[in-house]
Amino acid sequence: MIEHAYLIPLIPFFASFIMLFGGKEDPHSNMPWVGIAAMGVCLALSVSVFWGAVTGTVALPYEHNWHWFSIAASIAGRSFVYDMPVGVLIDGPAAVTLVAVTLVSLMVQVYSVAYMHGDVRFKRYFAFVSFFTAAMLGLVASSNLLVTFACWELMGLCSYLLIGFWFEREGPCEAQKKAFMTTKLGDSGLYLALLLIFAKVGSFQLSQIYQFFDKGLMPATIATVIGIGILAGAAGKSAQAPLFIWLPDAMEGPTPGSALIHAATMVAAGILLVSKTYFVFLASPTAMESAAWMGLITAFLAASMALVSYDIKRVLAFSTVSQLGFMMCALGAGGFTSGLFHMTTHAFFKALLFLGAGSVIHSVHTNDMRQMGGLSKKMPLTFLTMLIAVLAIAGVPGLSGYYSKDMILADVWNHDHLMFWILLCTALMTAFYMFRLFFLTFWGDDRDHEKFHHAHESPALITGPLVVLAVLSAFAGAGLNHDGLVHKLIPKPTISVMPGAAVAAPAHASEAKPEASAHQASTEHHDGHLPAWLHMTAIVLVLGSITLAFLMYRGPTYAAADAIKANLGPVFTLLDRRWYVDDFFYALVTVSDKVAALAFWIDANVVDRVFVDGWGLLMRIFAQISDAFDNLFVDSAVDGVGGLGNDLGVGLRSLVREGQVQEYLMYAAIAFSLAATLILTR
Amino acid sequence: MIEHIVFYSLSTVVLVAAVCVVTMRNTVHSSLFLGLSLAGVAGLFAALGADFLFAAQVMVYVSGIAVLIMFSVMLLGRASDLHLRQVNEQWMAAVLICTVSSAGLLKIARAYCGTLAPSAPTPDTRAIGRLFMGEWLLPFELASLVLTAALLGAVFFSRSEASR
Amino acid sequence: MTLAHYLTVASLLFLIGVFGALTRRNIIGILMSIELMFNAANINLAAFERFLHPEGVAGATLALFIMTVAAAEVVVGLALLLAIYRNTDTAYVEDYNLLKG
Repeated sequence: MIEHAYLIPLIPFFASFIMLFGGKEDPHSNMPWVGIAAMGVCLALSVSVFWGAVTGTVALPYEHNWHWFSIAASIAGRSFVYDMPVGVLIDGPAAVTLVAVTLVSLMVQVYSVAYMHGDVRFKRYFAFVSFFTAAMLGLVASSNLLVTFACWELMGLCSYLLIGFWFEREGPCEAQKKAFMTTKLGDSGLYLALLLIFAKVGSFQLSQIYQFFDKGLMPATIATVIGIGILAGAAGKSAQAPLFIWLPDAMEGPTPGSALIHAATMVAAGILLVSKTYFVFLASPTAMESAAWMGLITAFLAASMALVSYDIKRVLAFSTVSQLGFMMCALGAGGFTSGLFHMTTHAFFKALLFLGAGSVIHSVHTNDMRQMGGLSKKMPLTFLTMLIAVLAIAGVPGLSGYYSKDMILADVWNHDHLMFWILLCTALMTAFYMFRLFFLTFWGDDRDHEKFHHAHESPALITGPLVVLAVLSAFAGAGLNHDGLVHKLIPKPTISVMPGAAVAAPAHASEAKPEASAHQASTEHHDGHLPAWLHMTAIVLVLGSITLAFLMYRGPTYAAADAIKANLGPVFTLLDRRWYVDDFFYALVTVSDKVAALAFWIDANVVDRVFVDGWGLLMRIFAQISDAFDNLFVDSAVDGVGGLGNDLGVGLRSLVREGQVQEYLMYAAIAFSLAATLILTR
Repeated sequence: MIEHIVFYSLSTVVLVAAVCVVTMRNTVHSSLFLGLSLAGVAGLFAALGADFLFAAQVMVYVSGIAVLIMFSVMLLGRASDLHLRQVNEQWMAAVLICTVSSAGLLKIARAYCGTLAPSAPTPDTRAIGRLFMGEWLLPFELASLVLTAALLGAVFFSRSEASR
Repeated sequence: MTLAHYLTVASLLFLIGVFGALTRRNIIGILMSIELMFNAANINLAAFERFLHPEGVAGATLALFIMTVAAAEVVVGLALLLAIYRNTDTAYVEDYNLLKG
């Protein structure tokens, strides 16, 4: 089956075109089922690849390339032909990600049939979702960074379209612009990194670039620059600090679309790109460390912001940012397997959370958690699936989030103890705010009676995907972790020439680092467990924070929470303002605007006046001189020639006295004699 | 030998008289030299053996046209004319033109350097008469018509305004 | 004597005539110069007949026609001269500028 892997991105791609251009725009169109069927086929293909990888019947990585185009170039007298193939590269991470993406996309689409029913652009929504998924699958499966980049940008387009799906309203319009421009800011770094890679390696083929890095041909400085560039791109797409500002606003789009963006496609792309180019980071400890710290800061900031928000989707958005920070931190800390493992499990439970939140919003028609409460009585199925999701993301033992987060913490512990403590703190905050959300929504009394009265359980098309995702959220972690499967499927890539192998360990690395890199190639991850006491402490702390959330938000009164809020006003404000990152960017833009205005003023009043106007004046003077010269000499010469002819004519006429027959005769005789003589004496 | 003497003397007369015609200040003298020149031409006709032409030349030109011109000169002439230049200021250019033209004309003349008369000349009056009265009768009659018209014209133009 | 001699004399006579026609101020002088040119042509005709076609009389006949026309021309010309002279009271061509634009 794996030889048909190229179909996995292509099928939803064509399906999206069929949906976009086929049929009429109809709020009750049957077109979405085309996309769902296409995604089902994709899921089947992906699962077959995945199952082949699990059972070992398929040899991974599988790569197959087709000729696309080639560029002939001559550099310093030597001719080169750059071959640009297009192809699929299915390795372990790709196999796992394909399943996660197609599955989540399928669930989202099934869910959306009910959720989006009756929307004026019903059909178009599904086309976008399919196209989005196709771009993501293309990014996952591509063997070529050029195609990857193309898919990357297509995803940027799709996120723009989905976030601004209800473009009639102002919020989505602003959000889509913000998302597009913020990610584009990061993309510029990625673009530069790609250019640098091509300039150095002369190929966009991942396998060839890997060979280049593997042999240690890439200078460490350049590798660092490339790594930072890729990180910039990933920070934009995966909403890492400080470019995470777009993601909380991105929930202006349809909730299932948000689920897709947050779980399966957009944000995972950044993580996946880093994993695809992980050898760059292996070659550059600086880039690696940057990734780790970037992820750490993101995780902490986002989790702290989630603590105070009352918008259910916004809390989930912050939690996504935070979890992405976890993944990035894991990748940066050398936890390749744990990062991608968490990405997979996160895809399931975050999709579930968003779809569950969508179900709630669908039911009560508000995003504000203060107007919810007690919904467990009205929506039991949503309540149960959400409970599983919340437990999973909190890292309660037995559920998927526990395994992946545990593995990340272990990797980070082995990397740097300070990082570990911050990350553990973040994990506790995660547990707290998720249960805060959970209790505010489903527990306690109904705070808004009217909304509560109208609330109802969602239809089967909505609850069905919830149940499927809940099952996966519960068991995917255990299943993948069973018997070290995830380590087999997602082995950490290595490069034979490690940077600093000859040098001592980097100064900022902890004592665990040299030990880890000493037997890097073998089984680093298997001995990367947390110490048992730490493990138990972490579990107890998580349970403790859940209890705290229960105590504070179980209702019916929230005196404790209000008291804390009153006492810690500035901190709340700080968090509510999102650590002023948005304001920072706003100020940056404002300052840029001021600078631009100043520059404009300088341009208008100094540059224009002095240089342009001055130049113009100078030119005018020159022109006048030239004009005078022209009039005096050139025109006189021209007039002179004409005048000469005129004068000659007048002179000749005065020479010929008019009416003098003999003179006429004379000229006739001259002409005749000359002609005759010339002819006769020839 | 005699032929040469005749030719060169006649030529000298013709050319010198002609030069005098165009250069003399006194128009009466010019017209007299014209008569001499025309007479010389008549002599050349005789030397060429064109007897009828010689006779016609003497009668028409020497005794007709030259006399007529002489009369006209006397009719139009004034005493003050003798004090005026009879040649205008473009005579240098005219000399130049003549010099240039002579190059071409003399080149043609030189082509016939070796052409001698094939036989002795014979009288041709009879032949001319036959031609005029026979083959060329129509041109002959037209010539007489031209003469008649000229006669009428001369009479018409030369009448005074008063008698007209 | 060769044809060249006669042709040379005729040429010189013709050129003298041209010179006179170009230079004489008196209109009768011009008329006389024209007569000289006619005669030059007649000499040529007679000479060509004598040296190249002695069997015929075409040259002499043509010369006779020329004489006829020349005579008519002189007669009419002199009559016109008289008429002009009566109007303008001058015989000098530079004063004949009635057609001057």
